[in-house]
This record gives sequence, C-alpha cells and structure tokens, in this order.
Amino acid sequence: MATSDPSHGAATTGKPKPKPITPSDLRAEFSHHDPTIARINNGSFGCCPATIIAAQQRHQLLFLRQPDYYYFHTLKPSILQSRRLIQTLINADHVDEVSIVDNATTAAAIVLQHTTWSFFSSNFQPGDAALILHYAYGAVKKSVQAYISRAGGHVIEVHLPFPVKSRSEIVFEFQKALKLGKSNGRKIRLAVIDHITSMPCVIIPVKELVKMCRDEGVDRIFIDGAHAIGNVEIDARDIGADFYTSNLHKWLFCPPSAAFLYCKMSDESSDLHHPVVSHEYGNGLAMESAWIGTRDYSPQLVLPEVMEFVNRFEGGLKGIMKRNHEMVVEMAKMLVEAWGTELGAPPEMCASLAMVGMPSCLGIRCELDALKLRKHLRECFKVEVPIYYRAPVEGEVDPITGYARISHQVYNVVEDYYRLRDAVKKLVETGFTCDLLSK
Amino acid sequence: MDLSAGPEDPRAATNGDDSHVSKKLKLSFITESEIREEFAHHQPGIARINNGSFGSCPASIIAAQKRWQLRFLRQPDDFFFNHLQRQILHSRTIIKDLVNADHVDEVSIVDNATTAAAIVLQHVGWAFAEGRFQKGDAVVMLHCAFQAVKKSIEAYVTRAGGSVIVVHLPFPVNSNDEIIAEFRKGLARGRANGKKVRLAIIDHITSMPCVVIPARELVKICREEGVERVFVDAAHAIGNVHVDVKEIGADFYVSNLHKWFFCPPSVAFLYCRKSPVSPDLHHPVVSHEYGNGLAIESAWIGTRDYSSQLVIPEVLEFTSRFEGGLEGIRNRNHEKVVEMGQMLAKAWGTSLGSPPEMCPSMAMVGLPSRLRVLCDDDALNLRSHLRDKFGLEVPIHCQVPRDGELGVMDGDGCVTGYARISHQVYNTLDDYVRLRDAITQLLQDGVTCEMLRRV
Repeated sequence: MATSDPSHGAATTGKPKPKPITPSDLRAEFSHHDPTIARINNGSFGCCPATIIAAQQRHQLLFLRQPDYYYFHTLKPSILQSRRLIQTLINADHVDEVSIVDNATTAAAIVLQHTTWSFFSSNFQPGDAALILHYAYGAVKKSVQAYISRAGGHVIEVHLPFPVKSRSEIVFEFQKALKLGKSNGRKIRLAVIDHITSMPCVIIPVKELVKMCRDEGVDRIFIDGAHAIGNVEIDARDIGADFYTSNLHKWLFCPPSAAFLYCKMSDESSDLHHPVVSHEYGNGLAMESAWIGTRDYSPQLVLPEVMEFVNRFEGGLKGIMKRNHEMVVEMAKMLVEAWGTELGAPPEMCASLAMVGMPSCLGIRCELDALKLRKHLRECFKVEVPIYYRAPVEGEVDPITGYARISHQVYNVVEDYYRLRDAVKKLVETGFTCDLLSK
Repeated sequence: MDLSAGPEDPRAATNGDDSHVSKKLKLSFITESEIREEFAHHQPGIARINNGSFGSCPASIIAAQKRWQLRFLRQPDDFFFNHLQRQILHSRTIIKDLVNADHVDEVSIVDNATTAAAIVLQHVGWAFAEGRFQKGDAVVMLHCAFQAVKKSIEAYVTRAGGSVIVVHLPFPVNSNDEIIAEFRKGLARGRANGKKVRLAIIDHITSMPCVVIPARELVKICREEGVERVFVDAAHAIGNVHVDVKEIGADFYVSNLHKWFFCPPSVAFLYCRKSPVSPDLHHPVVSHEYGNGLAIESAWIGTRDYSSQLVIPEVLEFTSRFEGGLEGIRNRNHEKVVEMGQMLAKAWGTSLGSPPEMCPSMAMVGLPSRLRVLCDDDALNLRSHLRDKFGLEVPIHCQVPRDGELGVMDGDGCVTGYARISHQVYNTLDDYVRLRDAITQLLQDGVTCEMLRRV
C-alpha cells in the first residue's frame, strides 16, 4: 500500500514530506469534539479532523461561488482524483472499478437492486437464494428484504458464534451453513459477507469465506466492509469478491459522508446502476454515481487532503491502524480485568474496535436494556459507547449478556477508557440494574 | 432591482410602476447592501443570470448550515438519537404549510427532484414486475422533460416492459390554451390504441425551454382521460410560482428547495397525496426505517450530512426579511425578469419565447438568428463562449422548428436560439446590460456558432 508510506508519497508526488503531527496539533484537529464526552464510539459515525473540514468548506464555497463553472470544469476531475487514490489504497486493477457513493447503505442498495433485475429478467428463479450473516447490519438486512425477498428470492442467514475464540470457528460455521443452504439443490446467487461485523464487532476472515463461496458455486459475492478502510488492510484483488464497499467517513477521516463501491470488472458489473438516475445513466456506475443531480459532493473530494493528513502520522495510515489496534486491545484488557469479565473475541479478531464483556450483575436482559444503558452512560456519565446485547445460551452460569463496543481513534486518550471503567464500577457498586431505568 | 432601488437604478424612476419607486425604508426589511453581503461569496465579475440551474444560498443560511454540521460532528450519537429526526419533522411541517398539504405524512424530504423521480418511477417498475401493471401499459412524459427524468423512465419503465407516450408542447408559445390543446391532443393520440396510462409526468415549470405550464388544468385532463396517477415535476417551482398541492391535485409533486428557496445544495420535498398506494413508495436507499413510510425512510438513509434539510426554518426567516416575504420576492423577480427580457428582445430585434404571464422568475429571450444556433452543441458552445470571454453565465436553448412549422422570424432569419435568463434577489441591471452588449458585440464581430464549434 504505497500511499500510506510517507516516503513513497513524497517520491511519487514530488511534494515535500508532510509535517509530522504533534500532540497539540492533534488536539487542535479534534477540538470541535464535545470536550466533556468520553467519545469511545468512532465506529458508529466516524470523525473528521479540522483540516479536512476546512478543505471540505473550500470545495463547498467553490461550488457556491460559480456553480456552473464548477459543474462543467471542476467536479468530475476532482471525483476522478479521489477514485484514483482509493484505487491505489485498495489495490484495484482499474479506476473504472471504483465508484464513490454516499455510504455503504447506498452501495448495498446498488448491488441488491441489480439482483432484483436478475430475478425479474428470469436470470434468477424464484427460490434462488441470497446468503447473509445473521449479524449483518440492520440496513443491509432490510435492503435484502426490499430487493431480494420481495423479488422472490430466498434468504439464508448464517449464524456465527459470539463470543468467539478463533477464526476457525467462523470458517467452520460458515462452511456448515453454506452446505446446508445448498442442500436441496438451491442455487445461491449472492453472498453478502461483512469484513468487520458491526454488532457484535469482529473481523471476519473474508478471503477464506470468499474462496469457500466460489468453491460452492455461489454466483456473486458482496463484501460489506463498512468499517474496513482505515481499520484493516484491504486488498480487493486478493480478497477476490465481486463487490466490496467501505465507508470513508468512519475510519478514513472524510466528512459525512462518502463510501467507495468496488466492482470487479465483468459482464455483470457493467449492468450495475445507481438507483438515482441522471443523464449519466448507462455510462457506467462510476459516472452515474458522480452525478446524481445537484448535490453537495464535497465529502467525496477531500481524499487528497486526507492522504496528506494521514501521512503526517508515523507510518501513515498503516501506522494509525496499528496503534489504534494496539491501544484498543490494551484498553479492552484493562477493562475486563477491572470488571472481571472477558473479551468477546481474541485480539487478532479485533481491529480498532473491541467487544468488552460487561458485568452480568448489570442485568442487561434485552436489546432495549442495552440501548437504555447506553443512554444512561451518555447522560449521567458523559460516556459515549454502544452496548451489544447477547442472548444467553441455556445452561450458562452468570452469562455475560452485554458487551461494550469500544473504539480507538487517534483522538482518544486513556482517560476516556478510565471514565468508562469507573462509570461501570460505580454502577456495580451501587447495585444498579437495567430494570431501574425507565422506559 | 430590489426593495430600496431608487436613485441607483434610473429605470425605476422612468418605469412609472409604483412597486419600483423606492418606498419608505422600513428598518425591518433587508437593505440592498445587506443583500450584497449575503451574496458576497458569488464570484465577482460574473454576470450570474442562471439561478435556474443550481440556485443560490445566502451567507446567513450557509452559516446556519455550518452550525448544524458542527453540531453533528461535535457529538454525532447525541445528535442522531436526540435531535435529527425532530428537526427534520420541523422542516417537513414548515413545507407542509407552505404548499398547503393536508398532513405532514404527505411530505418527505429528499436530496433533489432527480431522487424524487427515481422514487416514483421505481414504484412503477415494481408494479410492472409484480404484475399489477401489464407489459405495454404506458407512462406519459413531455418531450421537453428534464433529461434525468427521461433516463429514469428508461431505467424503471421501459426496462420493466412499460411503454412511453411523448407529448410535444409548442415553443415558442403564446398562451396557456395552446399548451392545453396540444396536451389533450397528444394524450388522446398516445392512448389511441387503447393503452392503459398508469402515470403521467408533467412539469410545473419546464426546464428548457422554460415555461410555466398550466399544471392544474393538465392534471384535470389526465383525470378525465383515465390516467391512473399524475406526478408533477416542479423542480423549479417553490419560490418561483405559487404552490398549492391540493389545488393542483396531483398524486405526487416534487420541488427543489435549493433552486429558488435559498437552501444549500441540496434538498427537495416530495409530496405524496395520501392514498391506498402511497404506503408502497420507498426510498431506493434502504435503511432500518424500511416500511415506516417514505417520509421516515427518507429521513434516515444511512450516515449522511442532513444539514441542508435542517435550515428550512432559517430560510423562512430569511425570506421574511424581504417585503412581502417569499411571495414578494417571487413577484419582484418575475417583474424584473420580464422587464429585462423585453429590454433584451428589443435590443436584439427578437421576442420572448412565451408571454409574461407564462414566465416565472425566468424568461426565454430569442437570440438573433444571425448567431445561427442550429443544434444543442451550438447552444453549449455559445454558453461556454459567453462564460469564458464575457464572464456571463446564462444557459442557451436551441429550438429548431419542427417539420411543417414556420418558426419565429427576426429581420435576418429564423430564431432558433434562446437565452434562459433568471432573476433572483442578487441580480442587478448591469448583469443584463452586459448580456445585451455581449450579444451585440458578437453580431458586430460577425461571430456565428459555426465558428465556435471545436474541432
């Protein structure tokens, strides 16, 4: 990944090496964050440094200044430049394979609507299946319902274990479900696999699963890597899926919102369309996505500034990812020790996020409890962290039913996690249970 | 050109029309210099006579938008859980009152009219796919429908087995009656072989050429002719003409808010009259809100910057700083653009493409035939030339007379080119004077569009 290495960056662009970022620079970059909040949830909405906000505003003003000129002369080349940077980051063969869309939710709609047309044109038969993870993101599940179930497709949900001890558990369960799904001669047309599941948060061994799908004759594979870029290495070619999407505003410092959708070149990929149809219809997904009517495209245009920003850190993007991972694991271990609980997944299956078991005495008994506890932590302790509810398995003694999904991004400090630690300890000490929270 | 136009604008004094004479300066109304400040971010030196394409956004609204953007960035979870939906509902309620919808459920906020078209047409696509519509059932559109809408029809109707009836409206045009007659004829012709017409898409204000369509009458004709549903594409309408969705009587009505309603890019509302079928409309970008109604679906389509949807209260405040509010702005824009259009037509020896009552805050002004605008490329080249060489931003339309039509003549030949001039509160007389002089200059230099064709 050449561009994450600062020295390569200098050699290829001829620009001077970016000025290394100091701790006080870093604080200034995120000084717009609410200073009273322990913000341990980069995973949900991401973050955007002040330099990038400023870059975005420059683009916004350029458009407002003379929109016609901007539309005719500036917009398309700027989007192309961003697409080229992404192409390099993810090792795509050709820039035509890279489209920029609003978010992974939009990317899912694009891929799934394409599948709908296959059902309508009788390429696919009623009962042909789509396979998704049980932990698939809520929007993706709904999108599968809207575009596949509605069109007559059958949906197979693969249950993966959580807590999980190793990658092989995931591989094993997936293999089982795949074989079962095909067992009565059913054709699996599309597999939707998360690269990093959202809740609970775990890195999935996508390369193995893609290979398994190919071996079992799955037609097309779509990797939902919403969290992935800036979190784990992405080599789209190596992973070998047909479609791959990741949000740029979660872990790659873009403003809300932008995502890329990679579509491996093939006959089908030329038939993907953006659902919002403009005059660019038929010119390829990348062109269609680059103009979906008058919009503010500025979040898509700041990739050059983002690369400059990440290259101010030691090791560039790779360095950021490595340190985030190490810190979140360290903080997670600190928390489980303080609370007497366990991690939901081993460190090698955590990226810059970790699932930390919460004391069972808190009495998290359902998803609503988890949401209420999250709200309570936000309002009474000013700690922002999402909580995951995990249904206990029969026979479990004192089961851990709640997990805090902690994130670590460059702006986080250890105090954030101490505050979480102490908040939960206080709750335990005062005999708090979720029952006590009002509806 | 605006409220306090007085000695600076000599035409106001000679005009004789009371509304242009400078009134007693009401301290509560926005002043001319405040208006200049509000639009100081526009590129100086450019005569920006094209509000119709991309709209405009005053500095106070940009500032309001930034405040919303920062609120999200500051603590996104809190904003998402505690504020966003409430604010979008507030915006929707304001729009509902503005357009006279019955119920706020009927008002969804989407990115732009292009998105709204995709929503309505995707619904049609499903109806074909699920057998509620039969192969060959038709959708009606105007010949001059916006290109994105035409493509959307191709993507969702033609692809799903539907057929398309294209109705040509006359241009230049002299009266609403001409439009009504042509539409009735075109619709009847299209239905001649007993086709079932499932949806008609009618512009409220056509984009190119720009004309106010008697939408209410056309909707009535559609109902009389058994058209199942009518979708009014009113991308330009709000802030340009009076909008009363109940009066217009369509099933679906969309207008952009960033064109003539001072919102930042981009935001539009889609009105869907309550009916048994309206629950079945969906936003194509499916989130966890799927099935909760279009308005709720549209209010969360994944992590996005929704700030342009949240400044509608501030925009309403902004318009109230002008005398007569939005209606006052609209009326003055209309008067000014007609005045400027007539000034240009007189200077060039041409005419307007439609009578003043069919012009909103835009007017189609015939270009001298000697320029020889003979095709769409010519129009585009001329537009670029005006931008690059004269600092003028104005879109050009080519309208070659159809077979059998005579076309409008000027002293030298057939008028085939039209400039679509806009007038918004930031425009000044000088903008149009520059356009007048630029065209005059081109004629003097013997420039024709053939010379502008790039090899």
